[in-house]
Amino acid sequence: MIKLIIDNIPVEVPEGTTVLEAAQSVDIPIPHFCWHPALGKAGACRVCAVKMLDGPVKGVQMSCMLPAQDGMVVSTTDDEAMAMRKSVIEWLMINHPHDCPVCDEGGECQLQDFTIAGGHGIRRYDGKKRTYNNQYLGEFIEHEMNRCIQCYRCSRFYQEYAGGADFGAMGRAAIVYFGRQDDGPLQSPFSGNLVDICPTGVFTDKTARFRARYWDYDMAPSVCPHCSLGCNTVPMARYRELLKTTARRNDHVNGWFICDKGRFSNAGVNTPERPRQALVDGKPVSLDEALDALATLLGEFLELHGPDSLAIVGSTRMDLAGNIMAARLREMLGAGTLCLFNDTDRAELTGKAVSLLTTENSASQEDVRSADLVVLVGCDLLDEAPMMALAVRQAWRSGARVYAIAPHPALLPEGEGTQPPLSPGERVAEGRVRGPLPFKFEYIASLADVPLAETKRPVIICGTSRQGLEALKNIQSAFALPFTKGGSGGISSSIETANPPQSPFDKGGLQPEPKLAFILDGPNAFGCAELARQHHGVALSAALADGRIKGIISFEADLHHELPQGIAVLAAADWRPTGLVARAGVVLPTTAWVEQEGIYINNEGRAQRFKKVMNPGLPIKGLTPELHPPRVHGIDAPGGDVAPSARLIALLMQRLGEAVVDEPLSGPWKALKDLDATGAGVIINQREQA
Amino acid sequence: MDTILFKNNPPDRAVTFDEYLADGGFQTLRKALAGMSPNDVQQAVIDSGLRGRGGAGFPTGRKWSFVPRDLPGPRYLICNSDEMEPGTYKDRVLLEHNPHLLVEGMALTSFALGVERAFIFIRRGYEQAALNLRSAIDFAHKAGFLGSDICGSGFSLELDVHLSAGRYICGEETALMNALEGIRANPRVKPPFPAVKGLWGQPTVVNNVETLANIPAIVAHGPAWFKALAATPEGSGTKLFCVSGHVRNPICLELPIGIPLGEIIDTHCGGMRPGSSFKACIPGGASTPYFTKEHWAVAMDFDPVAKAGSRLGTGGVVVFDQTTCMVAATLNLVRFFARESCGWCTPCREGLPFVQHILERIEAGHGEASDIDILREHVHMLNYAFCALAPGAMGPVEGMLRLFEDEVREHITGGKCPLGN
Repeated sequence: MIKLIIDNIPVEVPEGTTVLEAAQSVDIPIPHFCWHPALGKAGACRVCAVKMLDGPVKGVQMSCMLPAQDGMVVSTTDDEAMAMRKSVIEWLMINHPHDCPVCDEGGECQLQDFTIAGGHGIRRYDGKKRTYNNQYLGEFIEHEMNRCIQCYRCSRFYQEYAGGADFGAMGRAAIVYFGRQDDGPLQSPFSGNLVDICPTGVFTDKTARFRARYWDYDMAPSVCPHCSLGCNTVPMARYRELLKTTARRNDHVNGWFICDKGRFSNAGVNTPERPRQALVDGKPVSLDEALDALATLLGEFLELHGPDSLAIVGSTRMDLAGNIMAARLREMLGAGTLCLFNDTDRAELTGKAVSLLTTENSASQEDVRSADLVVLVGCDLLDEAPMMALAVRQAWRSGARVYAIAPHPALLPEGEGTQPPLSPGERVAEGRVRGPLPFKFEYIASLADVPLAETKRPVIICGTSRQGLEALKNIQSAFALPFTKGGSGGISSSIETANPPQSPFDKGGLQPEPKLAFILDGPNAFGCAELARQHHGVALSAALADGRIKGIISFEADLHHELPQGIAVLAAADWRPTGLVARAGVVLPTTAWVEQEGIYINNEGRAQRFKKVMNPGLPIKGLTPELHPPRVHGIDAPGGDVAPSARLIALLMQRLGEAVVDEPLSGPWKALKDLDATGAGVIINQREQA
Repeated sequence: MDTILFKNNPPDRAVTFDEYLADGGFQTLRKALAGMSPNDVQQAVIDSGLRGRGGAGFPTGRKWSFVPRDLPGPRYLICNSDEMEPGTYKDRVLLEHNPHLLVEGMALTSFALGVERAFIFIRRGYEQAALNLRSAIDFAHKAGFLGSDICGSGFSLELDVHLSAGRYICGEETALMNALEGIRANPRVKPPFPAVKGLWGQPTVVNNVETLANIPAIVAHGPAWFKALAATPEGSGTKLFCVSGHVRNPICLELPIGIPLGEIIDTHCGGMRPGSSFKACIPGGASTPYFTKEHWAVAMDFDPVAKAGSRLGTGGVVVFDQTTCMVAATLNLVRFFARESCGWCTPCREGLPFVQHILERIEAGHGEASDIDILREHVHMLNYAFCALAPGAMGPVEGMLRLFEDEVREHITGGKCPLGN
């Protein structure tokens, strides 16, 4: 550890820490623009000047560039350092347009903060300001170059961190320009991070333009529901409309960034098509009435067909509590089946994947970023889990070798997507992201060619496809991974019964055991797999196949195939306008994830809590005069008579005669009751659960 | 007086390869490869006291000695021919007259450093020099002084000329390496220094044209001979001085380093033009503070010039007579530097245009007394820029404020340029 003194406070930091970070570690803020924890030092803005009073370096120094060393005595309040910082702000303000009142960044602008903090107030430059033309960068990001302070964060992120090639720094001297060769949508699937990373208002979220100030927003720590990685976010809403989503730092998961799919897929929460009204046979009723009707309907159904013919359907996009309650409902009714997955393949593969993960071998995104060898098995990262591709890029940038085996059909040998890159609009509209992978990889046919022995921190990333799992079976025999410990969850019974080859990892730890990451299907796929194991869940397609099932009650479920006509959809609870909702006898509108608290268990088995961001209800924008402004005093918002699925199930169970309904996070899930939404999350271990 | 660089240069054309050979060219390389170790060559350069001729004056041999000998992978030598300092044209004259000297110098240096791939980074404007170099490299190749197994010694060297899109900042060695790698010519963070982690992350030495062209003579004649060439006992070698401005005979000359400023102007440039009297000069390229008549006797070598408050820099002397407005002259230089900033760091990118604006205001007669404080502030604050461009740019401003403050104040109090600009 390095010992130094900053502003009379003794500080102890690990070697390699900069003076700026050392100061931050004891809550001494030093202004900075170009420095960013994820991008490292650049030394460009010069605003982090401090005075070195004693030690190996003397005088005014840039704290972001200077590694902390023993014996340093640092002052952040020294006159000379403060004068330098004031000068830098004055220089930056020479050309900044001071258009804060009409700038979307106003109120959350680092430049505003540090200008105030820096003490520059009186303008001495009386010449003309430099002006630029802005570019059209697509429908998601607004470009306002006049505000630019040339910290180079955007181009460093876009080109170096994210591997984008269509955006960067151009020109020189006082006319450096950050943009594209020509107007056009940014091609990188991570372009939205420019909004977060820009310390001022050059890049702002166009979808929320002029809608609110920072302090107007309803916001809370949340988790992205758009793939299985569980990237941490802060959704921001106003007047019951989800306006934008920003990245929330979690060093174990997404680091500082999120992908465009996660950032710009907000419209679904606000859409007029969203079910917000409880219906019984198409007639609007209150939520309570709908539950009453469902209880009656259910009683009739059970009497007529018996519990065996009922399937309770949960889903991998529903939060953990909802799925737990679905399982409880099924138990209470003695219903035939609990279906948390649509088809047999998905259920089986996800179950197998999850059974292979342990607390030790499960790879977080951070494990991937710091890996020295990455093997991709049967997955199309940019499509299925974009941030994982970004994580692999970080490993690759630090020198990790990347190999792809068991190719995903969408990947060409060179690593190019077979389809042309989609524009951000298409990406979000189609819910997918595609383009060239942002790293180079070697395409190898056989696992034996992976030079695992030469590495210290290898990670295998596997898609949850039959192809991927098949390939993993080969890995298992090739490297004798201790995959079979999971008992019935093992990959293949033939391997369990055969004599496994001697594990190279048993020989005195000469080789590290590769960590594993699976790309699952849905934000709570891991949780569903675990519940399916605990409660002997069956895939819906399998349940339907044997002909016993006559009716279903579905919670936030998507069906990939048309449900046979003979199956009655007694009720569908959802916040999305799905085919099941259209067919359901009773429609129970639920809250979207941003309107409730809940837990998702991500692909690595990390349980993460998300908080309620906003109140449910029709967005005020677009309301007709009969609904807004309100003419009657009341506490309910129009369209706000909705509830989380878990709550709906609890209410239904009460109506069906359950005297005491336990809260969802009890029994095996008790440990998650006090899960902190702002922490790292908790890794669930199937074996411990079992 | 012995010369090295301009020895036997025909006045109006380049030395041919045959002439160079006839004059003993490449004999030093042949001898060194046959009888000297790389360390011998490096030691000779260390002992010679040769200091970098690109402007900073860092001891060349010491720079070489920073290259770690035990790192795996290739190491590189780059000849910095991005001569863009206003008032400086010595490298162009040298390359247009005798490119073979540089080729031999680079071969010797590469031998000393264990380099097998060397680059000459030359600015776009120097097309003739680049042509000459390419032809010289061709000849050397054919004669077996470049390529593989040179003179049967086992030592191999490939030499490439890179005609760069170039800007002033490319003269900064780390920005040069970025430009050579094909990325933006912004300076790099130091440390790591190029000697450890340079071009493509490998150990790299960057030397100026004139520096490298001195190597054959040093190796041929020895350090003592080289030292004795200087005009003072402290100095070593000769120096190219390129003089421009209000002198009778503006010329690029090879003179003993340490020669007094006045002697360069009076003896070698024929004095001032008729009707002109000496007011000031830039002693070593646009980024050096002015000298006035009081500096007439200063020995033109690195340390004496620094002691006198300026820098020897490149040896590009620009002479001003009594009609020159020092505010206008300084403004002209600052305009250049403001334009040539790479735009990486705030002090340089935003500070220099601010200084330019203030100088324009003063020169136009709209200056205020507080403007002088702003200029002084910038002379100080621009020292905290990322690289040496901004502090260098403030050299003339500092000199103007130190030596010609009265003239600046006259602009402000009189509301116009006293010299009638």
